[in-house]
Amino acid sequence: MTRRSASQETWPPGAFFLRRERRQKEPTLRTRSASTPILLDAAEVSFAYDPRGRVVVDGVSLAVARGEIVGLLGPNGSGKTTMLRLLSGTLTPTRGKVRIGEAPMGALSRRELARRIAVVPQETHSAFEFSALEIVMMGRYPHLGAFELEGADDLAIARDALAATGTRALESRQFTTLSGGEKQRVVIASALAQAAEILLLDEPTASLDLGFQLDVTSLLARLNRERAVTMVVSTHDLNLAASLCTTLVLLKAGQVLAAGATGDVLTREHVRALYGVDADVALHPRAGHLTVVPLARTH
Amino acid sequence: MRRRIAVTIAGFGALAIAVCILAPLVGTTNISLARVFDRSIAFADNVDAQVFFVARLPRVLAAVLVGGAFAVAGVVFQAFLRNPLASPDTLGVSSGATLGAVIVITFHLDVAVRGVSALPVASFAGSAGALGVVYLMSLARRRGTSSTVLLLGGVALSAFLGALNRLVQVLGDYTDVFRSMRWMMGSLDVGSYTDIIVPLVPMVAALAAIATLPRVLDLVSLGEPAAESRGVDVKKAERVALVSASLLTGSAVSIGGPVPFVGIIVPHIVRLIVGADHRVVLPAALLFGGSFLVLCDLVARTAFGPAGMPVGAVTALIGGPFFLWLLFRKFR
Amino acid sequence: MAIAAARADARLTPRRSEDTAARRIVSIIPATTEMLFAMGAGDRVVAVGSYDRFPPQVEKLPRVGALLDPNVERIIALKPDLVVLYGTQADLRMQLERARIPFYPYLHHGLPDVTETIRSLGARVGVAAQANALADRIEQQLASTRTRVAREARPKTLLVFGREAGTLRGIAASGGVGFLHDMLEAAGATDALADVKQQSVMMSTELVLARAPEVIIELRYGRVDAAARDDLKVWNALASVPAVKNRQLFVLQGDEFVVPGPRVADATARLASTLHPQAFR
Repeated sequence: MTRRSASQETWPPGAFFLRRERRQKEPTLRTRSASTPILLDAAEVSFAYDPRGRVVVDGVSLAVARGEIVGLLGPNGSGKTTMLRLLSGTLTPTRGKVRIGEAPMGALSRRELARRIAVVPQETHSAFEFSALEIVMMGRYPHLGAFELEGADDLAIARDALAATGTRALESRQFTTLSGGEKQRVVIASALAQAAEILLLDEPTASLDLGFQLDVTSLLARLNRERAVTMVVSTHDLNLAASLCTTLVLLKAGQVLAAGATGDVLTREHVRALYGVDADVALHPRAGHLTVVPLARTH
Repeated sequence: MRRRIAVTIAGFGALAIAVCILAPLVGTTNISLARVFDRSIAFADNVDAQVFFVARLPRVLAAVLVGGAFAVAGVVFQAFLRNPLASPDTLGVSSGATLGAVIVITFHLDVAVRGVSALPVASFAGSAGALGVVYLMSLARRRGTSSTVLLLGGVALSAFLGALNRLVQVLGDYTDVFRSMRWMMGSLDVGSYTDIIVPLVPMVAALAAIATLPRVLDLVSLGEPAAESRGVDVKKAERVALVSASLLTGSAVSIGGPVPFVGIIVPHIVRLIVGADHRVVLPAALLFGGSFLVLCDLVARTAFGPAGMPVGAVTALIGGPFFLWLLFRKFR
Repeated sequence: MAIAAARADARLTPRRSEDTAARRIVSIIPATTEMLFAMGAGDRVVAVGSYDRFPPQVEKLPRVGALLDPNVERIIALKPDLVVLYGTQADLRMQLERARIPFYPYLHHGLPDVTETIRSLGARVGVAAQANALADRIEQQLASTRTRVAREARPKTLLVFGREAGTLRGIAASGGVGFLHDMLEAAGATDALADVKQQSVMMSTELVLARAPEVIIELRYGRVDAAARDDLKVWNALASVPAVKNRQLFVLQGDEFVVPGPRVADATARLASTLHPQAFR
C-alpha cells in the first residue's frame, strides 16, 4: 500500500490542503471534491494562551475529509496539541474559525460536539478505582439526558467498543491496574462508545512500548477501515505517521510547513526543515510504507 | 444501575434511621423510654423527656446533618481536585470559619442579638469569605491551567488563614485560647432546634445543586480535558460544585465547629463499600457520614466519664489510624 | 542540673543575714500583682503582666507579657531584683537564672494557697508584717463567712464561668478542684460537680439535666451589665432543673471571681450572700 503520488503537483482526490510559504500570508484556497465531505476544518486559525504572549498556533488552515487519517506532525512546541484542542473545541481560536461540517464550532453545545468528536488524550489518570467498563460507559454521557441512566443498549455499545479494541476480557478489571497499552486501548474504546464520526488522538503511542505501539497502530488502521472512523492524530513519531496516516500536516513554530498526501509531504527536505535532522526517507519493502531513519543532526 | 442506586439508598438509609432512633436512647444518664413519652408528666418536670428531647435528640440531628454535609463536601472536593487526599478544608473554607470564630472569642464579641448568637454567624461569615476567595480563584483560571493551580491556591489560602488564626489567638488570654481550642475540636451539643434549622436552608440549597452533578464528578475525576471532550462544561460545573461544597462546609462548621476527618475518610470508606461511581457514592456518603458522626458523638459523650470528650477527638482517634491504613494499602 | 536546682533554692530561700528585701519587682500574674499592692508593696512593682487589671494603679505600669508570651528582654532590661512568674514557665526560669535574676515561682491549687502565697511572698519581698496581717484578715473574713452560713442548708450548686452568649453551648463550669470550688464550698454550697476532679469542665446539656443543680451561678468578669442578666433566660430550655424551676439563676460580675488574689474573701462573701441572702441581712 503505497502513499506516494506521481508528482507533487497532483492532489490526490478527497483531500485538499493549502501549502503555505513561511513568509507569505496569502488567503487560503480551498477546493473540495463533491464526493468526499469535509467533516472538520480550520480557517486561518491562530491562538495564544496569554494574549500578550507567544502565539502558539499562527494562521493554520487545514481540512479533514471523511475516512481520512490526518497526521499532525511537528517537533515539541510546534503547536500540535494546541491545534488538536482547537479542532476539538476545547479552545477557541483568537483568530480564524473552526467549522464542524457546515456549522461553526461555537454553534454547537458541548454535548452535541461530543457526539461528533471524541478525543483520546495522551495519558489518562483515574483518581478513583473505576473498572474498565465504567471508563468506557462514560463515553455514553453525551447521548444521555441530564438525569438519565445508562440502559441496556448503552451497555451493549460499550461492550462492543471493548471488543473492537480487543479489551473485552478486561471489562471488570480496575483501570488503574492495567498496563499502558491496555489502558490506551480502553480509552480508545471509551472514545468509540461515544459513537462520534471523528476521533482526535494526542500522541497515542508516546508512552507505549514497541509491541503496544504496533497493537494500537493496527487497531486504529482497522477502525478506520472497518468502521469508517475519521481520525486526526498528533504525533512526533514519524514512522507512526508514515504507517498510519493518509495525509500529513507539518507544523513548525505554529505554522503549516507543508500539507498533503503522506507520500508527497514526508520527504527528506521536509524532515530537515522540521527537525533539523538529516534522514533517509524510503519505502520499506516489507513494511509496505515509508520509513524514516535519522542519520545526523544538521545544525 | 438504577437498582444499585436504590439498594444503596435503602441500605444506608436504613442504617441512618436505625442510628438516629437508637442514639438518643443511649447516654451516661439512664432514662426510660416509657417515661420519655409519658404524657401524664408535665414536660417541665419530666427529666427523662428533657434529656431525650433537649439534650440528646438535637445533638443526634446535628450530628446527622454535620456528618452528612462534611462527607458530601469531601466527595465533591476529592473529585474536582482529582485528589483522594482532598477534604473540605483543602481550599481553606474550614480555616475561614475558624478565623471568624476565633476573632469573636478573642475579642469578646460573643454577644447575642435577638436570640442569635454571634459565634456561629461569625464562623459562617468567615467561611463565606474564604468561599469568595475560592470562587475568585476559580473564575481567574485562565484557559489551559489545570486544577493543580486551584489546589495550590487553596492550600496557600488555608495556610494563610491558619496563620491568621494563630496570630489572633496570641492576642487573647489563656481562657480565650482554651475556648478557641475547644471550639476547634467541635461540639454537637446544640441544645436547641433553631441552631439546626437555620443552617439547614443553605445546606439544602447546596445539596440540591450537588444533586445535579454526580455523573459530572465521575467524568471530571478523569481530568478536565477528558470531561470536556465528553460534553461537560467543566468551568461551570466546577464553580457550582466548589461553591456548593463550600456552602455545605460553612454551614456544617457553624453548627458544630470544624469536626476533623469526617470529610476525608467517609468518602473513602463509602467507596470501599459501593465502588467509585459518584451516583452511588454521593447518596451513600450523605447517609453514612451522618451515621458515622452520630456514632462518634455517641462514643464521645459516653466513653469518657461524665464530662465526655469533644467529638473531634474521637473522629481523629478513629480517623487517624484508619487513614494511615488506607494510605499503606494504596501505596504499598 | 543539680547545681542549678540548688542555686534556685538558694534564690528562693535567702540566708537570714542578708537584706532580702526586693525593691524592683516584676509580677506577670494578676493574682500576685494584687497581692503585692494589697500588702503595701505596690510602690516596689516596676512592671506587670498583660492581663493585670487591679488595682487601677497598674494601668500606668509597663506590661511585659504573661503565661504564654513573657517578654524576656523587657523584663531583664528593667533590672528587677525579683520576678514573680508561674511555676510552669520553665523557659523563663532558665533565662532568668542565666541572667542571675532572682525569681519567685507561683503555684496555685486551691483557696488555702492564696493566703499561703501572700505570707511567703510577703516574707520574700520584705514586708512580712503587712503580708501576714493581710493574710490574717482574709482568713478571718473567710471564717466569718463560713460561720454565717454554717446552719443554712447547702444547695447543690453549679458554678459556670463561661458560656456562648444566647445559647447553652460551650458551658464551662468549675469542677471539684481549684479555688472556685473551694470558694463555693466556703460560701455554703455543695458543688454539683464535686466528683469531677478537673478545674474546668465542658458541660453538656445532658450533664446539667442529670446533675439537676438547685442553684446556678454564672461568673463573668468585666463590668456589671443588664444584658448578662437577660441572657440567663437560655436556661429555661432545661425546665426540669430545680434551679430553673425555682428561679435560682444568678449572674455575678467582677474580676474578683477569676483572680485567686486578696479579694477572694470578698468574692466568697458575695457568693455566700447570693446563696443565702437571709443570713446576710
